[in-house]
This record gives sequence, structure tokens and C-alpha cells, in this order.
Amino acid sequence: MSGYYLSILQGAGLTITVSLASLLVSIALGLLGATAKLSGRRPIVVLATTYTTLIRGVPDLVVMLLVFYGGTIGLNALMERLGSETTVDINPFFAGVLTIGFIYGAYMTETFRGAILSIPPGQMEAAWAFGMGRTQTFFRITLPQMVRYALPGFTNNWLVLIKTTALVSLIGLQEMTYLAKQASSATRSPFAFFLFTAALFLVYTSISLWALRRLSRRYSLGTRQVVH
Amino acid sequence: MKFGFKQTASMLALVTAAFGAAAQAELKVAIDPTYEPFTFKTADGKPTGFDVDIANALCEKMKRKCVFVEQVWDSMIPGLQAKKYDVIISSMSITEDRVKVVDFSDKYYNTPSKVVLKKDVKYTGPASIKGKKIGVLKGSTQEKYAMGELKPAGVNVVPYEAQDQVYLDIKSGRLDGTVADILEVGGGFLSKPEGKDYAEMGEPLFIPKYFGSGVGVAMRKGQKELKASVNDAIKAIRADGTYKKLNDKYFKIDVYGK
Repeated sequence: MSGYYLSILQGAGLTITVSLASLLVSIALGLLGATAKLSGRRPIVVLATTYTTLIRGVPDLVVMLLVFYGGTIGLNALMERLGSETTVDINPFFAGVLTIGFIYGAYMTETFRGAILSIPPGQMEAAWAFGMGRTQTFFRITLPQMVRYALPGFTNNWLVLIKTTALVSLIGLQEMTYLAKQASSATRSPFAFFLFTAALFLVYTSISLWALRRLSRRYSLGTRQVVH
Repeated sequence: MKFGFKQTASMLALVTAAFGAAAQAELKVAIDPTYEPFTFKTADGKPTGFDVDIANALCEKMKRKCVFVEQVWDSMIPGLQAKKYDVIISSMSITEDRVKVVDFSDKYYNTPSKVVLKKDVKYTGPASIKGKKIGVLKGSTQEKYAMGELKPAGVNVVPYEAQDQVYLDIKSGRLDGTVADILEVGGGFLSKPEGKDYAEMGEPLFIPKYFGSGVGVAMRKGQKELKASVNDAIKAIRADGTYKKLNDKYFKIDVYGK
């Protein structure tokens, strides 16, 4: 019995790694997407809007299957046409991280865009008037304030992202939910293992919430506290 | 010098072909280890079960090395098509729908279903239980059989969302019996206290029209050589007693079926 719990704990390690790595990808894509949407240049705006509309409108599961299996089948078909016998094998870890990052990048784009829009434009104009460049303005004026506005939405996205990692078992990664399913089927006692897994998720999300709340307090210094 | 995509691809092919030659003896086998006693994992994480043992026995005959790849059931066939593995040996039934997208070897097991009723009922065929209420699992092969054979004979067939619910309703007296796979009904009902007054009746049901033709090894379409060698291996383990040994390790009955 205890062997199964141990394997689920190991799966928890994978869950944490996958979620943190996907979070980084999604933040990068979100910042990129938000800047693109607010750039005012038509082709870029259209591109970013297509991205967020498409990804937020299609179920995560479908995107994941499409990217991973569709991608591999397509690549293999291409290789065959080129007369090669080899099979391409996409690394499931990177595929999982990139897919989840890609999906949540769309949500982050909207969160960040909203946050940037909440900053009075006069502040950016003032920064330019002082002679700051675009990059300087972004890092000194926009980013610190944006974090404050973005954190509530960001927290939501992060919690949902954590739970989405349970989907990566579809592409062959053994995260804790799948391991719990294996354990419960081998022992025919589902509740013990699923409750254990639920508790692990809860611990992870609670720690995240605590950390994010501290971060939010730090970034809200000097403003009236939002009541939590 | 121009170095196009085609050249790069063929270079890549050469390099990987060299690797491929060394690893040729491997046969990547997909399993979903959530189906005890056919495929499941021991506490220390080793795949085990009837399917796994059969796979190893087949690999031995084919002189290849089985490498097990764990895959969730929902993406079993996509994974095969994406060439993540070569075959699926995970209790996959040969059905009409699946045959459209993958090839199957000959079956390596086929457990029959049976009608299960209270012990005192005299069952001599569908007509003998006219008017009785029989519960079946919705969307199952047993439902197909019950709708095709029992219902025309005047039996009241009731589909359920889960086989467990059928057992609950038999227990509460709302149903007279069920049609189920003998391994399922044996482990899930007949061996339990609430099933002590019930028994399997009539002949084992194998009718392919309803029940398909058993469980086989699935592979990508058009691999004639692989299919032939898997079929030969199945024949070989049937002939030399390996199959019987594995069968008896897990089951009291012969699961190869008819």
C-alpha cells in the first residue's frame, strides 16, 4: 500500500515541475500578447486577438491532443513523404509544458491587458515627458503597477493551471492523478488514493495562495488595501 | 552549397537508422495499467497482469524485447498512430469501429458473457424468462445481445449507467437478473454475499454479432509482417503450454474462449 502513496508523491513532484515551467511560458506569452494587443498596429492586434479567441474558446483537452498527437502524426507523415523511415518523438514533458503554457498564455494576455489599461495613461505620458524610453517606462512605471492590478486574475489563472496539469497524463506523463488511478485500480480502493491526491493538490494551491497574497501585499504598499 | 530540408531530413534518417539498427529488437507495447487483473501496477511500480505476461511471452517468441509504455486509455489509439509505440496489448476488444482505424492480430482472449438469474429459475433460453426484468450496462456488448435476443422474446430489458447499479437493483428486488461478462459478474457479484442466491445460466455467449471477436493485439494499419509474426507467436504460446500457465496464474476458467 505505502508503495503506491510513494509513487503518487513522486507524481506530485512532476505536477509541480510541469506547472511552474508552464507558468513561466504563459507569463512570457501573456506579456507578449498584452503588448501586442495594446500596440495599436493592426496586423499584430489581429494576430494576438486570434490567439486569445481561439485558445480560450477551445477546450484544453482538445488543444493538447491536437498539438501533441496531431503534431507528431503530421511530422511523421512529412518524414515518410521525404523518404525517411525514422519516427519523430516529441518529448512529452516539453510538449506538455509548451501546450499548457500556450493555453494559459492566452488567459494571461487578457489579465495583463486589463491590468495595463487600469494604469492611468497620464503616467506613461509623464514618463515619456521626463525623457524615459519605451523600455524604461515599461519596467519603471507600467510593470510595478500592473502587477498589483494583475494579481487577482493571475491567481485565478494559476489555480486553474495547476489543475490542468492533470491532463498531461494524456500525453504520457505520469502525474499524480494518473498514478492515483493506477493505484486505486490495482488495490480496488479508490477513495484512499483519490483523497490523498486531492489533499496534495489542496496543499499545493494553499501554499500558492499564501505566497501570492504576500506578493499582493508587497505590491499594494502605499495604496489603500483591497479587502481580501 | 545549398543544403535543403530534404538533405537534412535524409541525413537525419541515416543517423537515426544507425541507432535504429541497434534497438531493432525492441517492441514498444502500450498498456493502460488501470485494469486489474489484466494490466495493473504493483506497489513498487512494475507493470503486471495477464496482458503484460502475455506480451512478454509473445515478445519471447518473436525474439524481441518488450518495452512497456504507459498510456491513458483515452489516447491509446492516437498514441499508436503517432508512433509512440508499436502495438497495444491492453485488453482492447476487436470491434467494428476500431477495425476501421487500426489492425488487430488474432484474439488472445475472449471471455464469454452469461445470463445471471436467481438459482431457482429454470432457464432454457430467452423465451423461458418472458416477462422478467433484466438489467444491462448501457452501451455494452451485453446490451446489444439483450436487445437483439431477449427483448424480442418478451423479456423486459433495462439499461443502466453502470454495472454496479444493476447489482444494487437486483439486491433491492427491482431486477430479476443481468447479462454480464463472466469475469465481471464473478468478481463483482456472484462471489459477494448479495449474489449467493444467484447463478450463471445457459450456455456461454460468444455470438460475434453482439460480442465482437475477443481481445487482440492492436497495431497500425498495413503492417503485414508484424501482424503475421504476432499471430505466429500467439499460436506458439497456445501450442507449447505457456498460455495455459499464464491463464491458470490469474483465472480459474479458460479465458481463451471459443
